Amino acid sequence: MSETSAELWTASASGRRPRVMGWRSEALRLVSLVVAVAAWQASGLVLNKILISTPAIIAADFVQIVASGALPNAFLQSAFEMGLGFSIAASIGVTLGVLMGRIKIFERTLDPFVNFFNATPTIALLPLMEIWFGIGFWARISFIVVISLWTMLINTLSGVRNVSRQYADVGAAFGLSPVQATWRIFLPAAVPYILAGARLALAQAGVGMILSGQEIGEAGLGGLTEDYGSYFLTGHLIAAIMSSTALVMTTFWALRRTQARFFPWIAATSAGRR
Amino acid sequence: MSGTVIEVRNVSKRYEGAHGTVNALEDVSLDIREGEFLSLVGPSGCGKTTLLRIIDGITPPSRGDVFLDGRRLEGVSREMAFVFQDINLLPWRSVVENVEIGLLARGVGREERRRQALETLELVGLRPVAEAPPYTLSGGMQQRVGVARALAIKPKVLLMDEPFGHLDNFTREILQIEIAKLWRRLGMTVVFVTHDVDEAIFLSDRIALMQTTPGRLTEVLEVGLPHPRWEFNVLADPRAIALRESIIERLHVRQGVMV
Repeated sequence: MSETSAELWTASASGRRPRVMGWRSEALRLVSLVVAVAAWQASGLVLNKILISTPAIIAADFVQIVASGALPNAFLQSAFEMGLGFSIAASIGVTLGVLMGRIKIFERTLDPFVNFFNATPTIALLPLMEIWFGIGFWARISFIVVISLWTMLINTLSGVRNVSRQYADVGAAFGLSPVQATWRIFLPAAVPYILAGARLALAQAGVGMILSGQEIGEAGLGGLTEDYGSYFLTGHLIAAIMSSTALVMTTFWALRRTQARFFPWIAATSAGRR
Repeated sequence: MSGTVIEVRNVSKRYEGAHGTVNALEDVSLDIREGEFLSLVGPSGCGKTTLLRIIDGITPPSRGDVFLDGRRLEGVSREMAFVFQDINLLPWRSVVENVEIGLLARGVGREERRRQALETLELVGLRPVAEAPPYTLSGGMQQRVGVARALAIKPKVLLMDEPFGHLDNFTREILQIEIAKLWRRLGMTVVFVTHDVDEAIFLSDRIALMQTTPGRLTEVLEVGLPHPRWEFNVLADPRAIALRESIIERLHVRQGVMV
């Protein structure tokens, strides 16, 4: 609007998005959201409320299950299980990915297993988890681990393998030992791949969290959705679903914060600045 | 200038590609004198970068040997340091941490590493930006860090691969003078790759000319102009002009043979 082209130029050169459409696009977003919610609410006049409920009912149900403690308890339990499962998957995935990327023997010996498990539909493993760990906490954790592990591992491996030659050259030219080069060059250079993998793996861990909660002992948010669904409490159900979405989105947000805080160089050195 | 510091003996490099064998370098032999500034000059594809990488040991030769002080080199030499055309500073490390990397590889302790790195940054005038992330610096400053990273290990031989190739002319001339001064002051041997004939004449004691398909070394010329050269317009000197002419002539630039 009032910005001159020179101001736009400096804005984009300093890495900020030129804000010509700023408030308009924000307003547009808000309008589209309001229209959608209003239309949903209005549809309740015609459609059966058991099918899609209405925003007003959902809000009331939400307040009720928050007040009763059902939702907060389930939310915290699910957040903990997803956090623990994902952390285990990320630790194992990054470690094995780096080892496979840097040491031939690891790659040769582990590659067939990685392919095998990555190709196995994870949900088929759910009964096995129950047999191994009993119908409870550790079965759910292990399911979240196996559903998100392979993405972490494969992305880390690609990251380590695709380290640009110019960085690898620095290690070679200055005589870093293989261990030094792994820590100082290959692992940090793979971080953008690892974070991209983490974004995908968090979504998978979210699926694992709900599914294991539904199938293994009706726990957490998965247990709530299973429960509400079987009683046709559509308003409660949608409130629980949206809470699950909020939980997973919070982890995405935390990941973005982690990247901005600890890896500012990624955004600063990439072509597609945000 | 005293004896020979590096001997390159019958070095060849072949790449087996999908489209047959490429002779990147064929039977190159070269003696590099202690303390001299030697430039490798030639058109792109003549193997000058490959030769430099083979001297450093980053790239192994297909045949032939490189000797440093009479010892045959295997792998990367600890007494040589490399300055890259792409600069290659690690963006996840600060400027001073980048300069420390060669010292780290040599097992120098944390505090001593930092002290020596800061000292070297002082040498290139970048002490004030020691803690900055490298990508916040201009291209010229980044390459000064690249030079500092190499100088930090106090190399006997400094290998520079078109270090100013990505810089604008103005910055380039400033850095040429800086590198000439550092060379005079520190007295190490420099092997410098460039395709810029004027740059080679300004900096070098000798210029090795290279040709393409197959990549080979054709001739080594003495520059024979007095140092220091930043105190007068050396490129306007009749000897420099004649030398420039003969180099251009020998590289067949005019006939358009060069691709």
